[in-house]
Amino acid sequence: MNHILTLIVFFPIVAGIFAFLVHPKSVRVFGISVATIEFILSIILWLGFDANTSGIQFVEYIPLISQFGMSYYLGVDGISLFLVILSTFMTMVALIAVSIKTDIKNLVIAVLFLETTMVGVFLSLDIILFYLFWEASLVPMLYIIGAWGSERRIYAAIKFFLYTFAGSVLMLVGILYMGYLFYEATGMWSFAITDWYQMALPFGTQLWLFGAFFLAFAIKVPMFPFHTWLPYAHGQAPTIGSVILAAVLLKMGTYGFVRFSLPLFPDASIYFMIPIAIIAVIMVIYAAMVAYAQEDMKQVIAYSSISHMGIIILGTFAMNAEGITGSIFLMISHGIVSGALFMLVGVIYDRRHTKMMSQFGGLASVMPTFATIYGIMLMASVGLPLTIGFVGEFLSLMGFYRIDWVITLFAGTGIILGALYMLTLYKRSFFGEVTNEENRSLKDLNGKELSALIPLVILVVLLGVYPKPILGPIDLSVKKMIQTMDNKVVTKEAKDLIYKANSIGGGE
Amino acid sequence: MEKYLYITLFAPLLGSLIAALFAAQKKMLFTGIITSILIGISFLSSVILLNYIDGDTILHVKMMDWISAGNIDIPFGFVVDQVSVIMMVTVTLVSTVVHVYSIGYMEHDKSFNRFFSYLSAFVFSMLILVMSDNFAGLFIGWEGVGLCSWLLIGFWYHKHSASWAANEAFIMNRIADLGMLMGLFLIYWKVGSLQYDIVFANIVNLDVTTLTWIGVFLFIGAMGKSAQFPLHTWLADAMEGPTPVSALIHAATMVTAGVYLVIRAGEIYALIPEVGYVIASLGAFVAVFAASMALVNRDLKRIIAYSTLSQLGYMFVAAGLGAYWIALFHLMTHAFFKSLLFLGAGNVMHAMNDELDIKKMGGLYDSMKATAILMTLASIALAGIYPFAGFFSKDKILEVAFNHEAYLLWFALFIGAALTAFYSFRLVMLVFFGEKVHKKLGFHPHEVQPFVIYALTPLALLAIVAGFFEHSFHAFVTDLLKDYEFTLDHSIALILIFATSAVALSGIGFAVYKYSRGGFSESWEKKGIYKLLINQYYIPKFYELTIQKPLYNLSKFAWQKIDLKIVDATVDMIARVLYGTGDTARKIQSGNLSSMLRWMVAGVAILLVLAIFIRPMV
Amino acid sequence: MMIGLTHYLILSGILFIIGLVGVMRRKNLLMLFFSTEILLNAVNIGFVAVSKYYGDLSGQMFAFFIIAVAASEVAVGLGLLVLWYKRTGSTDLDSLQMMKG
Repeated sequence: MNHILTLIVFFPIVAGIFAFLVHPKSVRVFGISVATIEFILSIILWLGFDANTSGIQFVEYIPLISQFGMSYYLGVDGISLFLVILSTFMTMVALIAVSIKTDIKNLVIAVLFLETTMVGVFLSLDIILFYLFWEASLVPMLYIIGAWGSERRIYAAIKFFLYTFAGSVLMLVGILYMGYLFYEATGMWSFAITDWYQMALPFGTQLWLFGAFFLAFAIKVPMFPFHTWLPYAHGQAPTIGSVILAAVLLKMGTYGFVRFSLPLFPDASIYFMIPIAIIAVIMVIYAAMVAYAQEDMKQVIAYSSISHMGIIILGTFAMNAEGITGSIFLMISHGIVSGALFMLVGVIYDRRHTKMMSQFGGLASVMPTFATIYGIMLMASVGLPLTIGFVGEFLSLMGFYRIDWVITLFAGTGIILGALYMLTLYKRSFFGEVTNEENRSLKDLNGKELSALIPLVILVVLLGVYPKPILGPIDLSVKKMIQTMDNKVVTKEAKDLIYKANSIGGGE
Repeated sequence: MEKYLYITLFAPLLGSLIAALFAAQKKMLFTGIITSILIGISFLSSVILLNYIDGDTILHVKMMDWISAGNIDIPFGFVVDQVSVIMMVTVTLVSTVVHVYSIGYMEHDKSFNRFFSYLSAFVFSMLILVMSDNFAGLFIGWEGVGLCSWLLIGFWYHKHSASWAANEAFIMNRIADLGMLMGLFLIYWKVGSLQYDIVFANIVNLDVTTLTWIGVFLFIGAMGKSAQFPLHTWLADAMEGPTPVSALIHAATMVTAGVYLVIRAGEIYALIPEVGYVIASLGAFVAVFAASMALVNRDLKRIIAYSTLSQLGYMFVAAGLGAYWIALFHLMTHAFFKSLLFLGAGNVMHAMNDELDIKKMGGLYDSMKATAILMTLASIALAGIYPFAGFFSKDKILEVAFNHEAYLLWFALFIGAALTAFYSFRLVMLVFFGEKVHKKLGFHPHEVQPFVIYALTPLALLAIVAGFFEHSFHAFVTDLLKDYEFTLDHSIALILIFATSAVALSGIGFAVYKYSRGGFSESWEKKGIYKLLINQYYIPKFYELTIQKPLYNLSKFAWQKIDLKIVDATVDMIARVLYGTGDTARKIQSGNLSSMLRWMVAGVAILLVLAIFIRPMV
Repeated sequence: MMIGLTHYLILSGILFIIGLVGVMRRKNLLMLFFSTEILLNAVNIGFVAVSKYYGDLSGQMFAFFIIAVAASEVAVGLGLLVLWYKRTGSTDLDSLQMMKG
């Protein structure tokens, strides 16, 4: 178990290199096997994970450029553990469901490379390493969208790449400046996040650095008004690309907030809390309304992702264990649910080569199993209790209620609007009479699709009923993080706010 | 005893899952039978629990943990106390009848199995709602019944109106659910727990403003589920669902969840009588408002739906004024006679090939005597005539209003009672008596299978006799609920009873008199008041014009104008400016060595100048 | 009058400007080579002069490097020039436009 993290990070990419040697006919099976082994490895990691420790576990530390404090530094805690498992799981499921025939070899290799970068982002504790994985993740995705997308794929791919890339360049500047500050303060270079956690920064510096990191994360999330790359990327990407993009890549942004922005710059985070919360509310309402106006099924889900990410942001900036734990749980649940929804859209797209709702209608009678699974995912998406979607949403909103109830009320309209656009989608596509003759002979889900979707359905219900195994470790690590923040804050207002956010009762 | 608790709770779930396995297949009779038996078992074990519970012993179990994060800890905990056991018995009893009834009602439906799966799932959700020992668990059931209601209203999903009504119901309930969620959050952050016992033990420490907010938020939740104004429109539209669904969900159980919530949170509302008074006022308003719409409607099921709305208003009056046990009592008796009324209506619909317009019926008594008798009994109970169940519970509510010196509310309810009696018998007269209009339209009505009628008899029996359990009921539930003090003089109470009974009787008498002579003339339909009522005060139209359409247009605007034309265009413009700059600068790269060298020299010159004159920090 | 560092540097500067003007104005490829040589040698003079002034030999070493580099550059350049002349019959700079972007 000493080097399991290295194994988890680099196994897919090494296997991906070997995939060049595999015959194109068997490469899909190869890819699924690799992704399954990778998933099993991450489960082994979970089994070995001590759920009663809040700190970082399985640490691997090898200095790389010790003069400048850069190192190969991996570790996992409750916050990152489940995001790693989510990445490996969704990659596996997405590969099982893949229905692309052309250049399948390149696709599998690209996905395996992508998996390494995703896992790397979540496991890196050295921020330079983090940055490497962060940027490297763009390349396979660019390729996936650009090579297997629909008509405007090049435009979408380049937009995705340039937009997210431009955001993260500023983060690099922030990272270097932060490293320099650390050098000035301690006399030695270090880019280890655990070292940075120890250092309190003056308020003014925090504001600038927060801003530098914010742009990168905000574009990745994506926060309003930096969200416009997302509908294009989703609209043009092949199913597997959308699944991984929605399930994992977006979570990198919110993970960045939790891992870096909050504990490194607690005063700035609290200073910007209300403006960010207002942006989050705009995201929730605005994206939900735009989703309601869509004609394209996939775009509805793409915009709904933005809406849900708004709730995640809100929970993250609640500054209390309820909200942050909830937002991390919501990252996982949104990963599963949106991934499944994109997969379901992919299923119907494979059959009809259209995603327009007006082309459907009455699918419930033609494809009952499909309609049932779609319905379950839809209910999870609108946050019905006892599905996975409720827990995170409930906790996130509950967390922010402590900060400001009016903002929470507005963000809560997301649950109404969510029901509105999702049920409208469902009604238009699944209910009513079959009007289009082409739909009359559609086949229900086949074995391959079922084997990808059934695990997701099981997870949606299982974790909705019993989220404790996941909530527990997250909660522990989050509480430790809040403790870190509390130790670091320099302004009195921030100190008071953290105290207030984490205590029960008292006047408003 | 815990065993029985779990049996009550999970037998319906088991039935639902069994039926769900065959959901996509064609009709299998045994799914109906199995689910009915399992619900029956659930009913029996809740009766056992009813006998077990008394003043000192209640059942409180914690099954397992659900959500715990930060300071919050929400378990799956269940409590069987005087209130929840009454609800359990009512719910499972009506459900059992409805299940058996549905075997007959749905016998030709191709989605027979799916129907029973949904129906049992609903019962399970409803039981979670009433049995939970905390607000979050209540919310699970709350949303669960919402989901099942969505599935069942939209059961015949090929009908546009059905799926539309299903969505309307779900979304409107969601609006209210948001209010409820806010209430839960507020409770949590003030008390630190969502368990009923902990919350109620600590509310005395909270200031009145907070309590008021909690009360308001929770009541917003209740307004959605119980379809109180202004969130009432979904209930009438929900009649698109199969009739057993209307009987079970939209009359007897789910819509009373809001009342249950107010009763359950009675300890909070007791501290904020002002909010309670607002609730009561809204209830009284709805009681008359809904009854007035029932007066003119021609749709058999919608009339009963409006009547349900109106009766929910009565319950809220009682609950709002602090007479929790009376609200609960009316909830129970109402469940019996209203579901009976709906199921009878289902029989009529079957006989009339799903025709709902009561003006096209008439004289059905000859062809379906049993149904006619049952529905008349239910209508008498609804009108509140001694000795039927409605008399005991409804009169008590009027008494409470009078006792509270809320004479305006009392008067509203008094008018409501007259209207109720009138529209109930308008319905009975138009459907079962008078001219046989259906003959002319070529209908050949027939009575339903006998077992369906037998299934209804328990309800009929209860609609007649339930009122006589008033005293034992009172003694039973006031162990838990706060008792209501009547300060009214006995003689005044008696006068009130007579007055109410008289007005109800005259309502009946007027309906019988008028409709046995052919009813009102056509000229009434030209009058403004008729138009107002038949169009439901133009409220659905109003919602469509002021909320639905503008929201859609605004969404379109947000997408096409803001998102594409402003936000995205700005991003693209930045890219285009960069691209354009490059395109312009490209001309420099002419390929002519000579000009390139000149550019190079210029570059050197600039660098020299910079090196000499501009000194960056060293 | 003693000839000092300043004079050498002025000479170097004048030569550099002559070379620069040549680079900018001449259209013949051969003339361009000449101008480049003048530029390099202008720098060489500067290097040697400063080296002598400070008594540091590294400047003269650098000058030798530049001479060597210039020689090899001319060798390669003239070879290409001859080839180009054979192919097109011209050594005019304006005929060299293949790198247009």
